[in-house]
Amino acid sequence: MKRYYGRQIVQPKIDPIPKNAVVSPTFRQNICQRCGQDQRAALPNHAYYCRACLALGRVSTLDVLVSLPEPNLFDTPTDLTWQGQLTAQQQQVSAALLGALAHQREHLVWAVTGAGKTEMLFPFIAQALKQKQRVAVISPRIDVILELAPRLQAAFAHSPQVVLYGEQKAPYTYTQLVLATTHQMLRFVAAFDVVIIDEVDSFPFAGDAMLAFAVQKAKKPQSTVIYLTATPTKRLQQRVKQRTLNVSYLPLRFHQHLLPEIKTALVGNWRRRLPHQMVAQLRELFARAVPLLVFVPHVADLAPVFAAIQQIFPTAAGDFVWAEDPQRVEKVQRMRSGTLHFLVTTTILERGVTFSGVQVMILGAEEPIFSASALVQIAGRVGRDQLQPTGLVQAYLQQMNFKVMAAQRQIKQMNQRGRQLGGQR
Amino acid sequence: MTCLLCGRSLPKKLDLLQIFGLMKRQSANVCSMCRQAFSPIETACVGCGRQQNTTTLCQDCRRWQAQGRQLLEHRALYQYNDAMRRYMQAYKFHGDYILRQVFNDELIQMIHTLDMDVVVPIPVSTTTLATRGFNQTTGLIDGVAYQALLEVAQTKKAHQSQLNRQARMTRAQPFAMAAETALTGQSVLLVDDVYTTGNTLYHAAALLYQSGAQVVKSLSLAR
Repeated sequence: MKRYYGRQIVQPKIDPIPKNAVVSPTFRQNICQRCGQDQRAALPNHAYYCRACLALGRVSTLDVLVSLPEPNLFDTPTDLTWQGQLTAQQQQVSAALLGALAHQREHLVWAVTGAGKTEMLFPFIAQALKQKQRVAVISPRIDVILELAPRLQAAFAHSPQVVLYGEQKAPYTYTQLVLATTHQMLRFVAAFDVVIIDEVDSFPFAGDAMLAFAVQKAKKPQSTVIYLTATPTKRLQQRVKQRTLNVSYLPLRFHQHLLPEIKTALVGNWRRRLPHQMVAQLRELFARAVPLLVFVPHVADLAPVFAAIQQIFPTAAGDFVWAEDPQRVEKVQRMRSGTLHFLVTTTILERGVTFSGVQVMILGAEEPIFSASALVQIAGRVGRDQLQPTGLVQAYLQQMNFKVMAAQRQIKQMNQRGRQLGGQR
Repeated sequence: MTCLLCGRSLPKKLDLLQIFGLMKRQSANVCSMCRQAFSPIETACVGCGRQQNTTTLCQDCRRWQAQGRQLLEHRALYQYNDAMRRYMQAYKFHGDYILRQVFNDELIQMIHTLDMDVVVPIPVSTTTLATRGFNQTTGLIDGVAYQALLEVAQTKKAHQSQLNRQARMTRAQPFAMAAETALTGQSVLLVDDVYTTGNTLYHAAALLYQSGAQVVKSLSLAR
């Protein structure tokens, strides 16, 4: 029975319905009631199914949706076993989050890359759990969830948690604390009192109507929603400006240093020949044995740029990596361990990775693939280490554009706030 | 248009003949990359259509012959490779019925080439039909006139894909004739989605021969 609490389970019409369950049709006015989309495809005999959310198991007119209202029946311990200390700024944000919880409001935490967002959440989550609220921590990115899971489990060592994502083999169990990819929210209905969305601006969540619907459906009508990001979407920023969304800024990294700013240099056609400024910089970086990430716009640029660097610096150990690269994990690991001096990469390494002491170069930063947020995230790879809190973020462009300027401005604004709080270079 | 299998957008290119209406516009529904992942069967065993270097009878077919069976002269379009396994997973088990279109044209063409009197699809159980919503085989040959002469006899059978070879081979006749039909002197083409051991098709063929069919051959998408 418990597995139906707050869940929206798809089952064939011919299967027995559990007692007291709420049964609803799978489609209303041609809209799939699980994912909110109209992407129907026909089955024989005038039946049809939804192709939009097919990856989570088919919803068709041969099925019904079965659920039991969330009863918040939790008797597991909720104590916070995390022993760490929050910085003064983290404490401020934490207090703001507790305020949002008390009023069941939405709240945006606009925290720079490497600010220590997760720790700030702990007192907030502890408070919600204590009040018997059901809490979901979700992200569009599976790697974010997999990284968060052990940290949350350690912070709430006595509270059982379930981790849900597409390839998860372990069966679902009813727990107060749920970690999941945003897609998994499609399987819930009015289940959560608190929803925390990490990296809310990242692919595929931003601009995806189905996933937005999923989160709306999974939370209770009266609920607290926390958005976490270093680079809010335009829509979120707009809502902050219109004062329809409360915001906390965390402009300083945990080590109290400012963000590295993006330097730009206008160059010729780098696809034909590496810019001489870049070669000079490479010479200097390789001489100091500084690890380096070189971002390029397209997969097709990887091999030529890599070959060009190798030709000039034959002794520097490097490689290139892209999303579908079968050796992706391995190469990133070799970069992290220091066996590689440089890695030429597409935007896949824009977030979620930490290389100690790394510096970055961006070739063709003006090209559409690098959004302003992507540039801010890329810059955020640099200086995450307490021991090496600064570094080079160099963008090479064939022409300047507003997007690059917007990224520079975002970082400058955050640094301005950071300076007021006593941050240093 | 996007590729039915990978969702990437398909190039909308027309060549000169198509622009002048001299050639029919072929509506590709799968991108060339996905298409290439399937491997067509070229040289095959004449008995079961298995891909091999020669057209001689394979071991399994000789065994069927030794049992006194009339060989099905089975034809299959594609090898059951990784891409085909994934396709079947998506089409049959995830129930993405629209994927029937991927091989529809090829199968229709093959059925016309074989030119038999009656086309009979392998049936699915009523439970499967109520949950899956379709018979995967009739879906694949959508657009061809067929006669559903067979039905599943037992109601509580395990899915074949969950059985091993031994269990499959010793299974009793799983089908029954849906109606008393005289097939005297007729040639029948049995159609299934995948030929694995041949057991299903030989059981079905036995029933059709009992009903007076002169010759029964078979066709499947994959082997």
